[in-house]
Amino acid sequence: MSVVRILFSYIIFPGFIFTALVGLLLTWIDRKVTARIHWRVGPPWYQPYADFLKLLLKETIIPEGSSKVLFLLGPIIGLVAMSILAVMLFSMNLNPGNTFVGDLIVMIYLLALPPLGIMIGGSASKNPLASVGVSREMTQYFAYELPFLITIAGIILKAGGSIRFGDIILAQKASGPFLYSISGVIGAIVILLSAQAKLGFVPFDIPEAEQEIMAGPYIEYSGVALAMYKLVRAMMLFLLPLFLISVLWGGLGDWWAILKFLLIIVLIVLIKNTNPRIRIDQSLRFFWLGIGILSVVGLVLAVYGL
Amino acid sequence: MANAKLWGLKKSPWVFHVAAASCNNCDIEILDILTPRWDVERFGIVLVGSPRHADALLVTGVLNRKSLPRVLRVYEQTPKPCLVICVGTCTCDTHMFAPSYNVVGPYDKYLPVDVYIPGCPPKPEAIISGVVKALKRL
Amino acid sequence: MKKEYSKEILDEIGAKFPQASVKIHAPRRTYIRVPRDDVYGFAKFLFEEKECRLSIATGIDKRDGMEIIYHFSHDPSGTYYSIKTLVPKDDLKIKSLADFLPAANWIEREIHELLGIDFVGHPNLIPLLTAETWPGDLHPLRRDYADEHKDLKVEKSTEER
Repeated sequence: MSVVRILFSYIIFPGFIFTALVGLLLTWIDRKVTARIHWRVGPPWYQPYADFLKLLLKETIIPEGSSKVLFLLGPIIGLVAMSILAVMLFSMNLNPGNTFVGDLIVMIYLLALPPLGIMIGGSASKNPLASVGVSREMTQYFAYELPFLITIAGIILKAGGSIRFGDIILAQKASGPFLYSISGVIGAIVILLSAQAKLGFVPFDIPEAEQEIMAGPYIEYSGVALAMYKLVRAMMLFLLPLFLISVLWGGLGDWWAILKFLLIIVLIVLIKNTNPRIRIDQSLRFFWLGIGILSVVGLVLAVYGL
Repeated sequence: MANAKLWGLKKSPWVFHVAAASCNNCDIEILDILTPRWDVERFGIVLVGSPRHADALLVTGVLNRKSLPRVLRVYEQTPKPCLVICVGTCTCDTHMFAPSYNVVGPYDKYLPVDVYIPGCPPKPEAIISGVVKALKRL
Repeated sequence: MKKEYSKEILDEIGAKFPQASVKIHAPRRTYIRVPRDDVYGFAKFLFEEKECRLSIATGIDKRDGMEIIYHFSHDPSGTYYSIKTLVPKDDLKIKSLADFLPAANWIEREIHELLGIDFVGHPNLIPLLTAETWPGDLHPLRRDYADEHKDLKVEKSTEER
């Protein structure tokens, strides 16, 4: 592939710009549905784009005494990771032969980079409230990553033991999506709740608890850096349901995928609007005991082929 | 490009609430405008948790000797360009507290104020109309 | 029921503290005027033996002295017992209640900084509410305070941060 084509796919479609635009549109859907649930009129459709443009206008203040490089590096890590992940997901879904050994693990690492960016950026702001937010983010990251990985292990087993993402898609094409089995349903529930925590939505928005620690790790960010953080979250909102569909629900090969995608978005917004925020120790207990045991049960069922 | 950014500022002002020793009556009215009845998110107004994310500072409360340094520090921490919106008669001209020993004068002696919203407390409709007027002036 | 309960306490007060003069203002509010030196013992009696809690303390500058009222609330019966004392203006001292009553700590600091009454035995009698740059010997709520704050400079930064 020529260099122009590679750059086009990483930057324009389906890389950075396409994911950013669609991700911001999805955040608008989230705000509008939330407003409708609250019986009020929500923001107009161009609201997230206006937010982003406005943030580019403001000055970026870097706190005195903090490391400039690390402060600005936090959001950039997330942006780069999400762009690469977008390209990988789209290209492997559309032709499953284009895969290499271990690329599922690469995808999991790329999904782990945005929280790492938050932690680096939050620690680089010289603020005690930001440190509290970072420690909460770290605790929650340990919490939700464990059941997520156990479920991925179950999916690898169901795909015949291969760690290639393309093989998972082909196995689902051959024998039906993995969702249509008990371990598949359990896996879907686990990955959905882990996605809710990774995105930082209620009931798991503990690191960014506005009433307690005043925006948590994002507290010192302003201007372009804050815009990049919001963009990372928007891109995650687009890519995590895509990941779920590819891994469990048959992939993006046909046009039904759009309906599946909208269903997952609706579920995320519904869970967001019907639950209060839980404490960090309750979150740890929920993910390790409740959802963790569920995911181990799913793994055992996957071993037996159910 | 500057026009696009200015359009962005008009369409999504993020608000930070600075309650500098107020009687909390104006604060309750500011809380009211975020509820579904006078839904203010349709203008893009969101209550943010940190002054560094804010475009508009909603100040309430009479300025007194102890809170003046703190309010000035919050104003310095807000990235420019930012609006300062004074809510309540106490902020516009110190209302009935003018002869008090602790009052140091109205807000526009120390901060560049954009909009004054008088009222004790101003009705939520008055606050919304004041904020929209401030946005139109941009 | 409440009137009789209050009568029982008032009889006990009359027996123990003969210099107190009791005035029943309303069914649930009683004012008891006590000389300055008996306030400590009386408050201790109300707090420890009668299960009253200190609700608030108020002070005012009157013509023949500064009057301090400690308002004690008796929660089981919903009545208030207010102890009134008069502190003479040339000897502005009274024994502090803060050593057995932690609730009196901050309110006595506030009365001290606004009226100038010295609470003897208070562990930490520094100003509470006024600005850090306010002079410590200027008491604004006295009757003879006359706009001395106009000469004070307005500070735009705090000294202690």
